[in-house]
Amino acid sequence: MRVFSLCVVLAAVAAASAGARPVATPGVSSNEIKLGSSVPLSGEASVAGNVARGAEAYFKYVNDHGGVFGRKIKFTYLDDGYDPGRAVNNTIRLVQQEQVFAMFSSLGTNNNLAVRKLLNDAKVPQLFVSSGATTFGRDYRKYPWTMGYIPPYSEEGEIYGRYVAKTVKKPKVAVLYQNDDYGRDLLGGLRRGLGAKAKAIVARVGYDPTTADVQPQVTQLKASGANVFMIFAFGKFSLQAYNAVSRLNWKPKIFVNDVSSASALMLAVPQKAANGSISIVFGKDPAAPLWKKDKGVRLFQSILKKYGSDIGSRDLDNGFYTAGMATAFTMVDTLRKAGKNLTRAGVMRAATHLNEKNNPFVLPGITVHTTPTSRFPLTQVRLQRWSNKSWHPFGPMLTAKPR
Amino acid sequence: MRIKLALDILGFVALALLVVFVPHFVADFTAYELAIIGMYFIALLGLSILTGFGGQISLGHGAFMAIGGYTTAILSVDHGVRDLWTIPIAGLVAGAAGLLVGIPALRLSGLYLALITFGIAVSFPQLPKQFDDFFGGTTGIVLGLVSPPFGLDTTPNRWLFYLTWGIALVLLAVAWIFLRGKPGRALQAVRDSEVAAESSGVNLATYKTLAFGISAFYAGVAGALYVMSTAYMNPDVFPIVLSVYLVAALAIGGLDSLVGLIAGAGVIYILQNRSDDVTRWLNHLPILDLNPKQPGMPSVVFGVVLIAVMLALPMGVGGFLRRIFQPLTSRLYSRS
Repeated sequence: MRVFSLCVVLAAVAAASAGARPVATPGVSSNEIKLGSSVPLSGEASVAGNVARGAEAYFKYVNDHGGVFGRKIKFTYLDDGYDPGRAVNNTIRLVQQEQVFAMFSSLGTNNNLAVRKLLNDAKVPQLFVSSGATTFGRDYRKYPWTMGYIPPYSEEGEIYGRYVAKTVKKPKVAVLYQNDDYGRDLLGGLRRGLGAKAKAIVARVGYDPTTADVQPQVTQLKASGANVFMIFAFGKFSLQAYNAVSRLNWKPKIFVNDVSSASALMLAVPQKAANGSISIVFGKDPAAPLWKKDKGVRLFQSILKKYGSDIGSRDLDNGFYTAGMATAFTMVDTLRKAGKNLTRAGVMRAATHLNEKNNPFVLPGITVHTTPTSRFPLTQVRLQRWSNKSWHPFGPMLTAKPR
Repeated sequence: MRIKLALDILGFVALALLVVFVPHFVADFTAYELAIIGMYFIALLGLSILTGFGGQISLGHGAFMAIGGYTTAILSVDHGVRDLWTIPIAGLVAGAAGLLVGIPALRLSGLYLALITFGIAVSFPQLPKQFDDFFGGTTGIVLGLVSPPFGLDTTPNRWLFYLTWGIALVLLAVAWIFLRGKPGRALQAVRDSEVAAESSGVNLATYKTLAFGISAFYAGVAGALYVMSTAYMNPDVFPIVLSVYLVAALAIGGLDSLVGLIAGAGVIYILQNRSDDVTRWLNHLPILDLNPKQPGMPSVVFGVVLIAVMLALPMGVGGFLRRIFQPLTSRLYSRS
């Protein structure tokens, strides 16, 4: 009797395991991979929404050239107006209704922080977020499904700090920063980079990302008598800061953080204030004369012309599109690396084993590189200086790798 | 009157049955969307007590929702209170705030009251930014996701649906009982003429502040549920424009029709989350060619739709339904 019941159990187990097919991964079918993103297409940070449009054009280009193992990438991006609450709504909708395979390159530090727990709990990859907040690469033990892309803000700040300590004789530094992890990471890095000269920070003012105008803050900073001005501000706030500097007839040495350094933005501010500004660079700037004949930039422009939606001639010089395309290139690379049998765990494995030397949209010599314990894809940068209405890279390749 | 009562109860039972069965027939995400609509419905119920029956306009109900939302976020994240128990507390905290606002409301009415409450909606988001250690600033507070309690075998979204609509039904019954009796008549008397109401013995101060308190309680509960559903709270989760949407939705639903409010709640949801789809639907009309991806386009389209609805249904959805069903119900009344 006992033997009989054992047989029945075994048979049942065998039947069950034979019947159990591998669970289908959401967002992946035999001919499609769905990716989603939440970006600002309206509001104060809407210029940055072009990152998604650049990525979209690149995915269409890849689809036209056979896709990824025969699968076409379907990329859906929704407008959040740079508002974290709306980013949460968008993300829930993309994951639950659209059933995307992964979230890709959503923009904004707070916006990505707001959905990080939600995505990790659901084991949905949150890949290559458009934010350099250090936590996205550092805290992978707690949030293994999340990864950033651009160099961490803290290291960017440190690079500026070291440069100031080395080149400015008696530095008196004033800092305008966005009062969230983005601005505070930059500020913290700046302090470390200044090292023994950290006291040189004579004034710092944070602003709230929902504020109307930062001119009052800039006025306050000018009153400190600083000769160096750090603009750790985003989108329209960075424009306002430059305008205020010009209006106040202030002549500090200006450093502007990477995410606000697009040529399109720099051209929109008074040139007498902008000239001499310093920033870091890792992507090719399609507006810079240096890259006019570059193969990567040519490819970027031809893709954008053919596959972009609503593209004007000025968009072909817009660095936000290039940034989106660079990120999309790495995404496609990652999907290919994850293999034919695409799973969410597989794509995370691929994303943490990147060694991409051929990204045509980043500076020559930069390798997009990750390991399971070092999850910062871009950690090589150069400095660049603004003059004659364009950026000019200078100096050697620097490391922005957190220690 | 007895037949009207029977009809009301019948309607309530029908709604309750819908609540029980709908989740079995819709997709998981639809259950989530319907739950959010339920939350707006709860807030609108409260607003309808205040504005529809009490005649006091509030353009600040988004702020009461935010107070409820913060109560839930802070209690569950910083103090480890189970999210379910934070709901009544959120209601009470918001209700207390409502009573406080009700006091100046005694001296003001009409446009002036609307302005005061709008001032609250505008200024409230500054508070969490000022005290960001306590409120989490603009970065906000990330909560855990809701999960069905007691090992219930259902998805989080369906659980959210049952929870929200369960609470909505209870609060609907409470509002109905409250408005049917003496307080309801007193409130309507205040709305129609304060002098007349006072001279027939209605205590203006009590009823006006009470209406504000109850109404804010409802908003607080709605805010708590909303924050549980998105697992995130910051000052912009309940934007200023939401306060305006609530009043607009009240007008669409019909100022004093409880069921019309469900339609109003649906409108807010679409307004907040689906206006790009509305733009796409409108493109099916032969004369229109709108680009839903153009920034701002959804809001413009929505504004136009809102105006069209108000022109077509000046008494709101509730008024429209009443006009259709009145011939039927009035015959029932005359027979009784």
